[in-house]
Amino acid sequence: MIVVRRILLLLGVVLAPAAVLGANLSCESPPELLQASAALPATAKAASAGRLRILVVGGASVLGPGTSGPAAAWPARLEALIRARSPALKLEVVTRGARGLTTAETGAIIAGEMASNRPDLVLWQTGTVEAVRGLDVDEMVEALNAGLGRIITAGTDAVLIDHQFSRFLRANANVETYLDALRLVAAVHGVPVLRRWDLMRHWADTDQLDMERAERNDRLTVTDRLNDCLARAMQALLRDGVAEARGRPGPRP
Amino acid sequence: MRQLIRGLQPVGPGGTAGGGTTGGGAGGRDLRADVFRGIALWFILIDHMPGNRLGGLTLRNIALCDATEGFVLLAGYAAGLAYGATLDRRGWVFAAAALLRRVGTLYVAHIFLFVVFTAQVGYSAAALESFAYLDELHLDVFGEQPYLALLQALLLRFQPAFLDILPLYIVLLLLLVPMLPLLRRPGLLIAASGGAYVLVRLLGVNLPNWTGGGWFFNPLAWQLLFFTGAALGYAPLRHGRRGPAPAVPFHPWLAVVAALVLAIGCAIVLIGDYNEQWLAELPSGLAELLTGIDKTGLHPFRLISILALAYLLGHAVPRGAHWLRGRLAAPFVLMGQQGLPVFCAGIFLAFLGRLALEMDDRWPMQAVVNLAGLAALVSIGLVAAWYRHRERGEAPRPTHGPPPHARAGGPAPQAILQAATPSSTTSS
Repeated sequence: MIVVRRILLLLGVVLAPAAVLGANLSCESPPELLQASAALPATAKAASAGRLRILVVGGASVLGPGTSGPAAAWPARLEALIRARSPALKLEVVTRGARGLTTAETGAIIAGEMASNRPDLVLWQTGTVEAVRGLDVDEMVEALNAGLGRIITAGTDAVLIDHQFSRFLRANANVETYLDALRLVAAVHGVPVLRRWDLMRHWADTDQLDMERAERNDRLTVTDRLNDCLARAMQALLRDGVAEARGRPGPRP
Repeated sequence: MRQLIRGLQPVGPGGTAGGGTTGGGAGGRDLRADVFRGIALWFILIDHMPGNRLGGLTLRNIALCDATEGFVLLAGYAAGLAYGATLDRRGWVFAAAALLRRVGTLYVAHIFLFVVFTAQVGYSAAALESFAYLDELHLDVFGEQPYLALLQALLLRFQPAFLDILPLYIVLLLLLVPMLPLLRRPGLLIAASGGAYVLVRLLGVNLPNWTGGGWFFNPLAWQLLFFTGAALGYAPLRHGRRGPAPAVPFHPWLAVVAALVLAIGCAIVLIGDYNEQWLAELPSGLAELLTGIDKTGLHPFRLISILALAYLLGHAVPRGAHWLRGRLAAPFVLMGQQGLPVFCAGIFLAFLGRLALEMDDRWPMQAVVNLAGLAALVSIGLVAAWYRHRERGEAPRPTHGPPPHARAGGPAPQAILQAATPSSTTSS
């Protein structure tokens, strides 16, 4: 374990040492949800070279609505976490998102960004609008297939992020269909998924973090914490994917 | 309960059912269709309550088709049986009118359920302090443009989640109106329906949905399954007597192919649910094909899956199987025979179940929701059957209620005609 950690430190790609991460994680998550189950070779290579460019694209939630400020949104938190762990890494995180974007629309944003300045890693959060409005699952799948194909062909890694868990959403929209489709498409392309739905559901079920049961006065704190927990989960997942790309068992948080 | 089940007791010409459960009515009603329809209705209730643990045990978890496919196939079967008989006895105009009357009932039921749905959304938004979601997710189209939303709902162009089967059913019955005469020429019916299905899938045609995209269940594609059921349910008249409904004869090779289809479907579903990483090992073209197995347009593989399942079940369960008349099957047979009220009540009960699971989804609540849900479904079937039974038994007047039964034929055709009277007359 120590040897592994030293090697990781030497390479300067450590996103967070395993032991420390476990203690700091403000939300306890099932380990299997933090596994990438797919390699992130481009990210590993870029990190080794000391220069990592991440593109985050999604709907409103990438901008951190309901948080105390832009710095509390999960992409910003992720950036801060990686910087804290790897100060030497030249990290650039670009976040693009707006309310109510469909998968085809976020796919177009990604295509545009890829053309101008290719990132090493795309974090693509999508599917919510489709589920909420009951749009065609097929169209979402097609847009994902096309988008992921483009990203992978360009030599960039991708991670999908699925829906936020919400009892309200579960009761009023046909979310499971979209969750399943998203998971399958990701698997087909060998792309990891940050299972936000399952993570948030676990946090809610274990009374760690429950957006829908938060008191009105606590809402801001809870939303900040949610974004922080998501960022940490994403960090753990990225470390696992990078470790897998290097052909070693990933450090399990 | 079993006294209220049609097809269990001999039915006299007056419509009064004698006591006892002799096999006298066995030649008439196919209880297999009823029992599987009842099970499908129960599965639909379960699957309409996301977060319900029992949802992990329904058909969709082991097959590339689910209760919706079963329901539509059996709805087609029931329609072919009932309206086909009406067509033969009273002619197309009367049968079409009976169909339209049923469509009207379904439409009103759908609008009622829509009102319940909007009330539920509002209630759960308040209960869970979810107004942020409503706003953020644009879920509240009703709140934003209530008048337009109402209009679109009336036009069936606005279908909230879980309210998509009834509009499908409505359009399928409407499509049956012009196709009724083709029941006598099943080959032509299936050819026309299959041709339309291929065209619709190739061109991507769907009915429009106000919030974007098309209908969740594209009726123009799903009609093939419905008409297949109708062709199987229609028993043609021969020399004034009604023969048994046609069945695809048993053939070992066909059975092997059907079993193979189901096994492949099961494997695809299980891999997707538990081991999706394996998909990356497949050739990318094939894997992408698997992600494209859509429910909206009734993907050919889903269609083949339900037909294979129906074929195998139809031959595995003989028409006179003892258990169909047993205690365990009775509630499901009853539910299947009172399809419309049970279905509508099921959608309504699913709202209540979702609200309950939204409040608490631990196992005591799960048990309560599922037991109460099934009990409520069976009770509704019981009440509907009782009402129908009494109406038939005490007032077999031709002026209102069921039309007089044909005088031709022996007891077996009588029983069929009895069962085949359009149930729109009473069970709505």
